[in-house]
Amino acid sequence: MDLMLLAPELTLVVTGLAVLLIGLFIPVGSKKILGFLATLGILAALALTVTSLGTEATMFDETLSIDALSQFFKIVFLVVLLLVSIASIKYTEGSDNTEEFFSLAIFATIGMMFVASANDLMVLFVAFELASLATYALAGFEKNNPRSIEASMKYFMIGSLSAALLLFGISFIYGMTGTTSIPAIAANAGGLVTNPIGIVALVLMLAGFGFKIALVPFHMWAPDTYQGSPSVVSALLAAGSKKMGIVAAFKVFIIALIALQAEWQMVFAILAVVTMTYGNVVALSQTSVKRMLAYSSLAQAGYISMAFVVLTPMALGGGILYALSHGFMKAGAFIATGAVVYMVLSQNKNTENPDHLDNFRGLGRRMPITALSMTIFVFALAGIPLTAGYMSKFILFSSTIQSGLVWLAVIAILNSALSLYYYARVVKYMYFLPTDAERVSEPLPYTIALAVAVIGVLAIGFWPEPFVHWAMEAAKVLIPGGI
Amino acid sequence: MAIGDLAFLIPLLPALAFVLTFFLGKKLPNGGAIIPIAAIATSFVISLLITLNLLQNPGEVITQSYSWFAMFNLGILVDPLAAVMLTMVTFVSLLIHIYSVGYMSHDRSQSRYFAETALFTASMLSLILSDNILQLFISWELVGVCSYLLIGFWYQKPAAATAAKKAFLTTRIGDVMFLAGIVILFSDLFKIFNGTIPDGVFIMRFDEIFAHIPELAAMNANILGMEVSHITIITLLFFGGAVGKSGQFPLHVWLPDAMEGPTTVSALIHAATMVTAGVYLVARTFPMFIAAPDTLLVVAYLGAFTAIFAATMGIVMNDLKRVLAYSTISQLGYMMLGLGIGAAIGAEAVGMSIFHLINHAFFKALLFLCAGSVIHAVGTHDMRQLGGVAKVMPITAATMIIAALSLAGFGIPGTIFGTSGFFSKDAIIEGAYLFGESSGMWIPYVLSIVAALLTSIYIFRLIFMTFFGKPRTDYGGHESHASMTIPLSILALLALFFGGLTSRRFNDFVSETFGNNFVNMNIPELAEMGGYHLAAHVGHEPVLILWMPLIVAVAGLLIAYLIYGLKVVNMDNLVSRNNPVYKLLYNRYYQNAIFTDFISVKIIYEGFAFAVRSIDRGFDWVVNWISDVTIETGDSLRQFQTGVIQTYATAVVAGVGLLIVLIKVIMEVI
Repeated sequence: MDLMLLAPELTLVVTGLAVLLIGLFIPVGSKKILGFLATLGILAALALTVTSLGTEATMFDETLSIDALSQFFKIVFLVVLLLVSIASIKYTEGSDNTEEFFSLAIFATIGMMFVASANDLMVLFVAFELASLATYALAGFEKNNPRSIEASMKYFMIGSLSAALLLFGISFIYGMTGTTSIPAIAANAGGLVTNPIGIVALVLMLAGFGFKIALVPFHMWAPDTYQGSPSVVSALLAAGSKKMGIVAAFKVFIIALIALQAEWQMVFAILAVVTMTYGNVVALSQTSVKRMLAYSSLAQAGYISMAFVVLTPMALGGGILYALSHGFMKAGAFIATGAVVYMVLSQNKNTENPDHLDNFRGLGRRMPITALSMTIFVFALAGIPLTAGYMSKFILFSSTIQSGLVWLAVIAILNSALSLYYYARVVKYMYFLPTDAERVSEPLPYTIALAVAVIGVLAIGFWPEPFVHWAMEAAKVLIPGGI
Repeated sequence: MAIGDLAFLIPLLPALAFVLTFFLGKKLPNGGAIIPIAAIATSFVISLLITLNLLQNPGEVITQSYSWFAMFNLGILVDPLAAVMLTMVTFVSLLIHIYSVGYMSHDRSQSRYFAETALFTASMLSLILSDNILQLFISWELVGVCSYLLIGFWYQKPAAATAAKKAFLTTRIGDVMFLAGIVILFSDLFKIFNGTIPDGVFIMRFDEIFAHIPELAAMNANILGMEVSHITIITLLFFGGAVGKSGQFPLHVWLPDAMEGPTTVSALIHAATMVTAGVYLVARTFPMFIAAPDTLLVVAYLGAFTAIFAATMGIVMNDLKRVLAYSTISQLGYMMLGLGIGAAIGAEAVGMSIFHLINHAFFKALLFLCAGSVIHAVGTHDMRQLGGVAKVMPITAATMIIAALSLAGFGIPGTIFGTSGFFSKDAIIEGAYLFGESSGMWIPYVLSIVAALLTSIYIFRLIFMTFFGKPRTDYGGHESHASMTIPLSILALLALFFGGLTSRRFNDFVSETFGNNFVNMNIPELAEMGGYHLAAHVGHEPVLILWMPLIVAVAGLLIAYLIYGLKVVNMDNLVSRNNPVYKLLYNRYYQNAIFTDFISVKIIYEGFAFAVRSIDRGFDWVVNWISDVTIETGDSLRQFQTGVIQTYATAVVAGVGLLIVLIKVIMEVI
């Protein structure tokens, strides 16, 4: 066994601990350095992960596996963390708790990365909880802001319930198959198919993952939490933590519970349609941008869930690529909103609803870079060509049509069209509605984070070939020969 | 390092110059003109070196391709055809840029001007360099956008804004046809490959397209009961694009109006960067045209018709620049005719046509720059107010007369004495003769020879009215600055000598385009596929035919001299609104009435648009209804989101229960 395979995770652990410890001993004024330190560590971890692409190995008695799928998702998590971390350099400025913020974000990501590598349900659960606990605390980072506390509490309570359900499901699986190892479950699935308890276990686990992915009806915490949390944390939740649910579901359903394929494909078909439609329809009438993004994020989760229904290598590749694209788009959109909120609050500390759509009026003049980036992100989310969102949707939807599920593709495309309404509304507010407010300077860290995300979104849109290739490689891990 | 490795810099440098000038130009003297000038000069040097290298080593065609996505690539191809075009475009554009420093010195938006002309040049260069049809189309569209920006450069003037819109919309008709041709070509090739394209094969690249001409020719479509080969359809659509861009009848209407831009822009459009794109497109895809004889006939006839049609209007225009605009349309007609007679003489047609294109670039740029020099000094375009300008502007007058001689085609057949325009136009007219001889269709030849007479008349009418005689108004004026007259002199030398020095060699060089390591086409074989045989080479016609172009040119000069120099005929009777022929010509065959008032306003705007609007209203109602219902649904669904955590937990647990039951039930049913 080669410990170097865990180098990215170890780098993050060291970085997280170092940030935490150094933070104890330096004055508030110089805590800015912690953000730079964290960002450097994340960059190093990202570089290590990218260089390890292509390696395949299992570790610790086959409880962890390193393969194209795990590395792809680790890159997604690290990219999101990188964006969040850069933007947070400004967000945490002047805060007493800078070190906690960065180390919690890093620990959450370590959890996500272990989920991506998990090859055993116990490891998966523990890693899942590591990520969850860290993000519960992050959601309530603004401890003097009642909304933030409320967001955190709701998230925590529904999270605990879901964790209990997940564990419950795992225990059934263990009872029926006598193992928690993911490949071994697949091999011993006989009991699950014959006994109705298999379906119960399936749905319980689905509830656990569905909570993270924010599938209807396990989604209700998401709008409240995304809106109440600091924007950078919302970015981490929507862009990072959601993908953890997706990769976990990929592994558990497609590898371990493949014997129950017919059952979960049907459930995912229902949930995908309900989730995307519900998300898009409710998003139409939101006036809080963060809440609108939360519902849009539901819709996107619905699209990604289509990969489970179609279950061809191309569909899975599309879903996996969507995860990466969504990471850039959604994190970028939340960070752009964060920049606006920061601007609004720095002008008037007591503004109610700093992310209200009205605050985006004339943003094209006030904060041109933020406005332009936001435009690119929302258009990407809507699936306008030459952006990452378009490429992902194109692959996912066309694979759906290819496998004969035309009705599903039609619903998804109609939903996409519907979503353009609320995405374009943001652009309308930014560029076409007048404002008498002055131009304000845009904080550099936010701008850098936005620029990185824009580059990501456009790179996948303009030069999709390598990304599609990586996503397809990752999909092969799930269904080696295709189904 | 071989010079070919730098080929990619040719369009890239002007493109960079665009960015730099756009952002920094305002802070630099002369609007940052030095940046595009330096960039284009470098591009010119590279192009020239590549051309010279190709002349010595005909095998060293430069091809570089990079995979873009799927079966598409980005790449460059510099073969003789592209090389001469690159050299010409960079050279003419360079001179125009230098000239513009003086010409635009009083304009406040100089930096915008230079940025846009740099982008214009870059787009045209990348169009020429493309090794695949898709990249060519993208550059083609960029050229269109730049022309819109530059024609409407003085956007405060309503006439300029309208002209820009007209140019953009008219060429768009051609662009749509071109795009349709590409789409058909793509789907056909896709079919030929059975939908599986091997790695490393880029189906939009010219060599790949040309390699599949036999299969394309074998595909047939049934249109109105006629069996038409796909290659004919594709080439006709490509030609449709060329008709728009190169101002052929009936899409030529934008070109005269494009005079609303600065005169230097007109020179750029007419000589180097825009209208030649259409001719280039046909030349570039010539192997496809050769295999589609019906299309070549259309090209030949339409070219010849445009040549004479525009020339008749050139005779009656009183605006200096408009005469030149019609002259360009007419000369483009010759170039198209030159390509069309490829049906008789094969690949040599490309050499002839491009030769005329290059010579035309020199003398037309010269004509425009001279006109600009006159306008700059005198302040009017109207020839009726000029006269005797030669006395105040001797250099301008001398160079313009040289350009006129070249345009009219003065030279002695069978020798190397002659203006550039003589050699190329003469070759095309003789080619049209051969075409008539081999096919029995004499109309193109007759049209082209009459058009030559008219050409000579209108250009010397312009010379006599502007430069000789007595000033008709008190216009003042002075010779232009050296930065303007030096480019004039250089162009004049080329308009005089380029043709004579290179004639035979040039044709051979460009005709090699379709036989090298990148594309190796057997043109006669392709022609036989189209069902006809190629005739002999140019140069063996009866003596009278050889001398005919010169005779009509001299005749034209004499007629113009008698009427406008000596005034032996009183033109007042002819030039009156009572003369129906004059009226027809002066009103430009009522094109405005037909195209704008009747087709655009009556049929499209009032008829079609009104009908569509009524239908649209209906759709609007349905769409609004759907959106209202959806938004209301959204509002009511929001009510579920109570904010009470108990509800959320209930939803989770209830959801779990419901899903279990649902699966069980559905599984039982299935």
